[in-house]
Amino acid sequence: MDVDLRPARKLRESAAARSVLGPILETVCASPADLGRLRVVCDWIQYKQNFRGAVVSRPVADTDVEIAFDLRRCADIDLAAHVKQALDGEPGLTLEPWVPGRDSLIWRFNQLYWQALSRWERHTGREYEQSLPGGESDARNTEAARELILELFRIWDELDARRALPEELYILELGVGNGSQARTWLDEFVQLDRRHGREYYHRLRYLMGDYSPHVLDRARQAVAHHGERVSALVVEATRPAVTLGFLAQKAFLVYISNVYDNLPTDELASIHGRTYQVETRAFLTEDDAEAIAARFGARRDDLVTLIDRLLRIGPELLSEANPGQFADPGQAVAFWRAAWEALRLRERYVPLQGLDSYQITPSLTGEILRPLIEGHGDVRMHVSNGALGSFTGTLPLLHPFGRVQCHDLFLTASQQYRTGFYGPGKYDGSVVNWVNGPLLQLVASRRGFGVEFTPFRQRPGSNITTLTAQARD
Amino acid sequence: MLLPTTVVGSYSVPEWLERLKTEYYQRRISAQHLAEINEVAIKAAVKDQELAGIDIVSDGELRRDNDVDYFLARIPGVHIPQRAKTDYFDYYDAEVTHPLPELPGEPGTGLGLADDFRFTRQLTRHPIKFSFTGPFSLSRRIRDQAYAEPGDLVRALARRLNAEARDLAAAGAELLQIDEPFLAGYPEQVELAIEAVNIVTEDVPVTWALHVCYGNRYARPSWEGHYDFLFPAVKAARVDQVVLEFARKGLDDLRLIRQHGWDKWLGLGVIDVKSPEVEPAELVASRIRRALEYVPPDRLMVNPDCGLRHLTPDVARQKLRAMVAGVALVRDELNEGGAP
Repeated sequence: MDVDLRPARKLRESAAARSVLGPILETVCASPADLGRLRVVCDWIQYKQNFRGAVVSRPVADTDVEIAFDLRRCADIDLAAHVKQALDGEPGLTLEPWVPGRDSLIWRFNQLYWQALSRWERHTGREYEQSLPGGESDARNTEAARELILELFRIWDELDARRALPEELYILELGVGNGSQARTWLDEFVQLDRRHGREYYHRLRYLMGDYSPHVLDRARQAVAHHGERVSALVVEATRPAVTLGFLAQKAFLVYISNVYDNLPTDELASIHGRTYQVETRAFLTEDDAEAIAARFGARRDDLVTLIDRLLRIGPELLSEANPGQFADPGQAVAFWRAAWEALRLRERYVPLQGLDSYQITPSLTGEILRPLIEGHGDVRMHVSNGALGSFTGTLPLLHPFGRVQCHDLFLTASQQYRTGFYGPGKYDGSVVNWVNGPLLQLVASRRGFGVEFTPFRQRPGSNITTLTAQARD
Repeated sequence: MLLPTTVVGSYSVPEWLERLKTEYYQRRISAQHLAEINEVAIKAAVKDQELAGIDIVSDGELRRDNDVDYFLARIPGVHIPQRAKTDYFDYYDAEVTHPLPELPGEPGTGLGLADDFRFTRQLTRHPIKFSFTGPFSLSRRIRDQAYAEPGDLVRALARRLNAEARDLAAAGAELLQIDEPFLAGYPEQVELAIEAVNIVTEDVPVTWALHVCYGNRYARPSWEGHYDFLFPAVKAARVDQVVLEFARKGLDDLRLIRQHGWDKWLGLGVIDVKSPEVEPAELVASRIRRALEYVPPDRLMVNPDCGLRHLTPDVARQKLRAMVAGVALVRDELNEGGAP
């Protein structure tokens, strides 16, 4: 039996975390499981809203079993009962077939959240920024904007001296929030440009890209006073080149804030030298399914169809289509919130037939993962497919002297996967996953870009890390 | 033959070959095994070019890890402290701490380029273009702690490359190309670069080409701008043709050919090597027709913008076929006596 204790810091700091280790092992050893084929994994899941029970089991290639404990929730539960239930297979209402993580139903919920954000906000009474840690985005900061702008001026002056400065100077912001970052940046730009005296503002093209038209509308209002300097575009974050192909090799700055952690991802694991893909399957526990069905006057088995319909047509049309259950859109949003809150994931490990046969994105095979996942013992990590799609689609937009600056939840060393839990979790109505920073770094390196990670200076103690990518050599 | 077709040098490096090359630089396979792998890849590259209908072929530079290190690692006096690499394509950190030893060197201290050429020569009956990176670009990747005057390192490298060129000519090479992929980043040093080119070509009786682009490392331009910086300095170069990129950048710089009275050959880049999108033959033909407004057909050679190394094998093959088909359209027009 392997025992994998991951939450290194918590175990060091928390007597409560340590105190459950003994009982966990005793319970597992007393269970009827074949201990020779059992892995025990202990995490500390910091997201109070997440997709797991306190104890879950995961088949490993149909021969072995991994049983996983959330130490945060194990102190006050009947461990023996939970272990038995996990090993027996927890009953519930299955919502989808087994799929790779990136294709999970949770991403449809996530997509709906951004599409119908205004409805969600109206129902919860909170704007989404208020649900971020600290109640606001980390994106806006005058000092940070000033530094970036002055560096751009330096580059532009040099290029201008060589008659190599393009007529139009493109800045791209992906994930625009409520427009505060754009407003701060542009207002600062105007002031600094006036002082600099080169009239770069007149050549500036500030492009705001976001998945959500609602968010874009709000952001557009925030920068209305910059008129034609600013354009807003609906951009599919994982495939920016589809909308932004015209920008190839033109962008001097691509600014991305809190986007990557919210994009679909697979997880891969190396167990005993073999590589597995983590497959997931969304479900509701029996209790939750019964409770939701009763609350909205539906039959338990109809929930599968209702949830699918909600995700296809949104809460407004759902209330029109099913007035019996949902008298108004607010009721449909209440259903949405209840389903989301109850949503859980089963997981299993499926052997991968070679990294090169695993497609991370349409243009990137799993071969790139080899240095991170092979030869380092057992590890489970995010592939960050959506983030990589976005990142690799963004790099070609950069002017040779351009850079990407990205604030997000990044792991900065693969080793961190051995010492902590990094998602998925629920953040308000959206999914949050930390991003596999070393993988982005590796992919960028193979494309001739250097990547640096630095703590987000404008808010010490924040989990946000700044990634900066620019051409090397 | 009017409008001969050729390549700039490098050919598509498939993912499996990249992996094997990296295995070598991480000491997991031997130099001998890598050499054999490279030779198989070169045979395939030459065959691909022949099948695509390319008139003047290359070895695809498939022995080389990148455009710089293959040479620096062989030049006596260039010190490379760490020769293992995380990825084969990464650049070494190279330095010179003493002036490079002047020729004649010890036997066996050459770079071995003539042997590379001989291998390709026995593979094909087609004419061969053999390219190597020029002294200016090589110097940009060396930390110079030996020369008080930086230009002296460039000149010393040029003398070393001149010796190689003599060996290549003796081995039967007829078309040699000097690549200066870094020059566009240092336009103020164009006179030095041209002076060094003339050292390389001195007394080597072959057809000489000079390729200047805006960089193609990782299929991205390293710089942007116009070829204005190249003229009129390049007119002093003892070369027979300049090979320039136009497909990606547009054809505006063709005006420089007329403006500066360039009366030698032009290698016209008609294929964008930084994009996987395959150009239609008609687009290639239209680019050639436009160039013919500035250069007579008997002084125009047709090639991609730069090396094909970052394209997938299938896309590289398709692009070469499109180029050949585009040339055929214009050749037909010229042979019919119609106005291009």
